[in-house]
Amino acid sequence: MAEQAETSLCRVVVVGGGFSGLTAAVDAAETGAEVVIVEKNPYLGGRVAQLNKYFPKMCPPMCGLEINFRRIKTNPLVTYHVASEIESISGKEGDFTVSIVKKPTFVNDNCVSCNACVDVCPVERANDFNFGLDKTKAIYLPFNQAMPFKYVIDTAVCKGASCAKCVEACKYNAIDLNMKPEKITIKANSVVLATGWNPYDATKMDNLSFGKVKNVITNMMMERLSSVNGPTAGQIKRPSDGKVVNNIAFVQCAGSRDENHLEFCSYICCMASLKQAQYIREQNPDSKVTIYYIDIRTPGKYEQFYWKVKEDANIQFIKGKVAKIEQASGDDVEVEAEDMASLKKIKTTHDMVVLATGMQPSGATLKVQGFKYTDEGFGIEDKGLYVAGCSKNPMDVSKSAQDATGAAMNALTSGQRR
Amino acid sequence: MSEQQRTEEIVKPDLEFVKDVIASGGGDLKKCYQCSTCTVVCGMTPDDKPFPRKEMLYAQWGMKEKLISNPDIWLCHQCSDCTAYCPRGAKPGEVLGAVRKMAIQHYSPPSFLAKMVNDPKYLLVLLAIPTIIFLFLLHIQGYLFGEIPRNEFGKISFSKMLYPTFYIDPVFISAALFAVVSFVMGIKKYWADMAKNYPLPPGSDTTTSLVETIKEIISHNNFKKCNVTKERSTAHMLVFFSFIGLGITTTWAVFYLYILGRPSPYPLYDPMKIVGNISAIGLLIGITLVTNNRLKNALKAGKGGYYDWLFIVVIYVIAVTGILAQLTRLADIAPLAYTIYFIHLVFVFFLFAYAPFSKMAHMVYRTTAMVFARQAKRQ
Repeated sequence: MAEQAETSLCRVVVVGGGFSGLTAAVDAAETGAEVVIVEKNPYLGGRVAQLNKYFPKMCPPMCGLEINFRRIKTNPLVTYHVASEIESISGKEGDFTVSIVKKPTFVNDNCVSCNACVDVCPVERANDFNFGLDKTKAIYLPFNQAMPFKYVIDTAVCKGASCAKCVEACKYNAIDLNMKPEKITIKANSVVLATGWNPYDATKMDNLSFGKVKNVITNMMMERLSSVNGPTAGQIKRPSDGKVVNNIAFVQCAGSRDENHLEFCSYICCMASLKQAQYIREQNPDSKVTIYYIDIRTPGKYEQFYWKVKEDANIQFIKGKVAKIEQASGDDVEVEAEDMASLKKIKTTHDMVVLATGMQPSGATLKVQGFKYTDEGFGIEDKGLYVAGCSKNPMDVSKSAQDATGAAMNALTSGQRR
Repeated sequence: MSEQQRTEEIVKPDLEFVKDVIASGGGDLKKCYQCSTCTVVCGMTPDDKPFPRKEMLYAQWGMKEKLISNPDIWLCHQCSDCTAYCPRGAKPGEVLGAVRKMAIQHYSPPSFLAKMVNDPKYLLVLLAIPTIIFLFLLHIQGYLFGEIPRNEFGKISFSKMLYPTFYIDPVFISAALFAVVSFVMGIKKYWADMAKNYPLPPGSDTTTSLVETIKEIISHNNFKKCNVTKERSTAHMLVFFSFIGLGITTTWAVFYLYILGRPSPYPLYDPMKIVGNISAIGLLIGITLVTNNRLKNALKAGKGGYYDWLFIVVIYVIAVTGILAQLTRLADIAPLAYTIYFIHLVFVFFLFAYAPFSKMAHMVYRTTAMVFARQAKRQ
């Protein structure tokens, strides 16, 4: 990196390697700046990597993600550190010192992803990439198109040196159980915060019974259940017994627009549920979908997507928020709401229920030292410190990309302002 | 209502009504965005035309007629489950509480008195009425600035102070009669209004639903369905049964005095005294629990308004002065005993004479609404 610094006019640190971070990085680097991406996960791609399809075009998100991966790989001005976090940011615009801690993944660059380690590993863990819908071994590949395409060891469950079966099995000397955390300090002109979001913890809405009633899942779990690289290879089957889902309900505003949870509208959940209704309708022609809502919010051109979905007679919209969920017989789920159009309090039974949980900015649970945040956990911009994507405001992927380009522009001026 | 009528119905917002709801504890009314979480978490509402979501809309739009003539506002026991889960902090429980207050004001005649009882400005005037009456009665007996009355055994005797037959009883009997007349007029009008909006099924029987309602009131079964403010039904039950105990005591005393000709004071071991004292202690404990629950739940359920707290304070004063009057009498501290008893009488008068306009009226209007709701198959 030291040699790169002499050639570039400006250096930008991008915190977060999701869609916003990658976009900001690529845009800044392709304009001639040197960029360092710091990603907490052991892979790049963030939330977009977990999505099945984009709305409204219903195209696969991995497509755009791979383009960005390629632009990063081929651009010498971009460096990235996965499994890394910011320890501190000090200094001022044009002259920041950023400390990064790179956590050990215990697998080095010799890894060719042959899977021999996984075959011998005796320990299983809940697969966080699939929200616990399936399991991986303690040594695992984050997902089948991960970048870097490299295995990782989960230290929380790995037995370490006492087991070391993977070390024996690896023919490439790629596993080093003694790998230590690494500290990196770099100088930067500006920092872009693109730490994204987490699905709001659905267990906090006690009346929606997530985690208590079987077959109540979140919208992000629905993405994984529908993805070809997900736990069911894209077949939408409910978690408790693998029954093919024929009758599904979506619960809108599950924790959003709610002063007891997320006080803001999460912007994407209405579009996400309309999109996910299509997943099940396309997979199963007889399927029935019920969407319980307060208001369907499909801003701008998305309104046409809503109209299209509404044409499907098997998709029913009920105005009235679900505020109680209980287990029905045979692992079915009973939801309760007021159908405001008929002025009746109704209970309906479904194979599976999807909670359209909102976006909680990652700043609500993990703050990057050096940045200021709103009460909700959204990042606040300052001189030389810019915020992009969902860490600034809830937004969809295309808006995140536009926002990231704007943040990259600001980051560049921090180095070049005259 | 036919479709034709429905489309022709025009909302006439009563803005004064909206302002009054806001001023009486429904301050967050306008925050409601009609999601109906409240209606779903409510354990009291019927499934058909459920509450309180639609009531929130009526209140926001100032549709007074639709609200106050609605039996549902009394099916609400202000559990505050709705308020705790409300995503907007609109406090539907408090709003319905305020609407109930206004229904009482609307139905109990005369309306000027209803306004006075619910306005702290007039509190002193209202207290002055019994105070002046009782001072006058003391004066004509010569006790106001003269000797301290004692009975033939030289003991403090409250019955000596305002000798019942000629002085005190006519005052209380007229106050009670006034309240009864006001209540009867109020519930007649209320029943007629309810029947207009919710036609009673043919052949439905008021007596049966009255019996069922009384059973319900005695058991507090619906009240026990509350989640957020679970302990409230116990506190209310204690206050309720203590009141019944005190009612029995009063009737019993009337029997002693007028039938047996035995004037008070009665010895502490007299069964009537035992019932009275247990009830008094029950009332004090009950009202303390009510207060504690209100304070404890204030964050989730709302603070309540003047109308709620006036009722609580009046009951408190009655319970405390009643117990203290007896203690100071037994301790033979004459001036203090008579003073405390005087205050006790003023507040008992306040409770009964103003009952149709204060929160005490819930006893009558809630019962009426519950009977109606049962008969209209809404409960």
